[in-house]
Amino acid sequence: MQQIKTLDALVAHVKATGTRKKIAVAYAQDANTIGAIGRAVAEGLVEAVMVGDRAEIIAQAQLQGVDASSFEIVHIPDEVASTAEAVRMVKQDEADILMKGLVGTDKFLRAVLNKEKGLLPPKAVMSYVCAIEVPKYHKLLFVTDTAVLPYPDLKQKLAMIDYSVKMARRFGIEKPKVALLGASEKMSSGFHYAQDYAVICKMADRGQIKDCIIDGPLDLFLACDKASVEIKGVKTPIDGDADVLVFPSLEACNTFYKGLMLFGGGELGGLIQGTTKPVVVMSRSESPASKYYCIALSCLMA
Amino acid sequence: MITKLDQMFDALKSKPKKRLIGAYAVDSHTIGAINQAVEMGIIEATLVGDEEIIKKVCAEHGYNLNNFTLVHEPNDQKAALKSAEIINNGGGDLIMKGLLSTDKYMRAILHKEKGLMKPGAVLSHVTVIESPNYHKLIICGDVAVIPEPDLKLKLAITNYLIKTAQALGIETPKVAIIGPSEQVLPKLSSSLDATILSKMGERGQIKNAIVEGPLAIDLAIDKESAEIKGIDNPVVGDADCLVFPNICAGNVFYKTMTKLAKCELGAMVTGAKVPAILSSRGDSVMTKLYSIALSALTAK
Repeated sequence: MQQIKTLDALVAHVKATGTRKKIAVAYAQDANTIGAIGRAVAEGLVEAVMVGDRAEIIAQAQLQGVDASSFEIVHIPDEVASTAEAVRMVKQDEADILMKGLVGTDKFLRAVLNKEKGLLPPKAVMSYVCAIEVPKYHKLLFVTDTAVLPYPDLKQKLAMIDYSVKMARRFGIEKPKVALLGASEKMSSGFHYAQDYAVICKMADRGQIKDCIIDGPLDLFLACDKASVEIKGVKTPIDGDADVLVFPSLEACNTFYKGLMLFGGGELGGLIQGTTKPVVVMSRSESPASKYYCIALSCLMA
Repeated sequence: MITKLDQMFDALKSKPKKRLIGAYAVDSHTIGAINQAVEMGIIEATLVGDEEIIKKVCAEHGYNLNNFTLVHEPNDQKAALKSAEIINNGGGDLIMKGLLSTDKYMRAILHKEKGLMKPGAVLSHVTVIESPNYHKLIICGDVAVIPEPDLKLKLAITNYLIKTAQALGIETPKVAIIGPSEQVLPKLSSSLDATILSKMGERGQIKNAIVEGPLAIDLAIDKESAEIKGIDNPVVGDADCLVFPNICAGNVFYKTMTKLAKCELGAMVTGAKVPAILSSRGDSVMTKLYSIALSALTAK
């Protein structure tokens, strides 16, 4: 396939597939969600089922200038019950994608994580990957974990790598370059994450991790700036050309992506990982463009 | 580059002679080996022990007393401490255990004021094995001193093996960190340590060596095994140094090599101010001579 190099190209790619995925929205009655879904439906990206209070959904749609007849509405006015229904529809293949509406994140995730009725396979690691576009980098960056795992252990890091590599490959990057980020490229006993990185690199070396090129620890300069690699003289197959950035902790990753959004002119599409079907959870403070990209990304991954 | 143990003798003959101090060297096994080493021209020697006994043993076995400087000290523990004192005063370059227990010998080396330790240094055992079935010497550790090395100690062992290899003329030794499999086994701590050492080598934090692990021993010393497993790197089939995950693995390896595969070896304890020979009466004369030569080659 042709490589998807920007978030707009992602949208174009999804539209060009010609098949529209169906997205079930849990407790879909806030302005933010309806605005984003309204646009996605109007532009032919998805079909939508809005689960929630019918009157409230129609009223919010009118306020947002969204045509309420462009989506299906299932009237369940209760927050938890509407979420459970949206999850059920996805689990039973009546919809392809689950999206969070006005329901609280904890209640939403509880439904997703429910052992019998949820969308996470037993023992699977739940994580989060963002595809970020910034004007100053020559390609998309797949960044993890911005939102779910506070201090990933080795097993969780391996899952994060697996998810982000799979996502990058969906974008047509055959062998993504994965940089395992730290404060320095040196091994130091003070940094536990670096020891995990050494293990991961060797596993890749031995063919225990496939479909990617991995190195770490690397600092952000060595991961994303060729000039720094030359100045420092570090031999690394990433060579300042990383596709995937794996961060050692959520606070580092979260601050990195928010920095790019605030100061770097960045946009993103992000998705929960580990579930059997794509799950969209967007922050209300995300830009309208990023919300739209999140939906486009979920279609690509569905 | 030295690829056979006896090449160490030739290498030593062209260098200034190192001075061996025999700690309580009063038995025919120890004196005999030292006597032969002196006559081969690879060392000078001082024997510390009961002069009467030393003279008697030399007379009985026909060893030339003129080959040695004698220092009289009839008590075994005191003789070991005296040997350390001679070295601390600049009178010796390596130390060898005589007829005293390993405990007493090590106690003298480790003695806080009078011993041979540098602050923060770690003692480790280095063994150099010659096998007719391998194209060069195998330098391995730790088979005798450190029981369960953690990462920090494995790093020390690795650096000692590298230094030993360099003394044997191997400029950039190839170091294999040994484990049961070349696959990374996350439940096996030695496997994880191996990946960390490997990465430290890659980042230049272990200098003058190529470090690779985990490797099962067959891959480290046999290229064909590595090819079958699909592992290709500069170390496989051509390792100079083997770092064992613990003393059990190392000890079984060297004893299998000597007793079952009939290999010769030289060995020493490293990490003190001078190399220390820890041979036992059970060792062959050649093992003792190789150990003396190895220590002399690595001595400053």
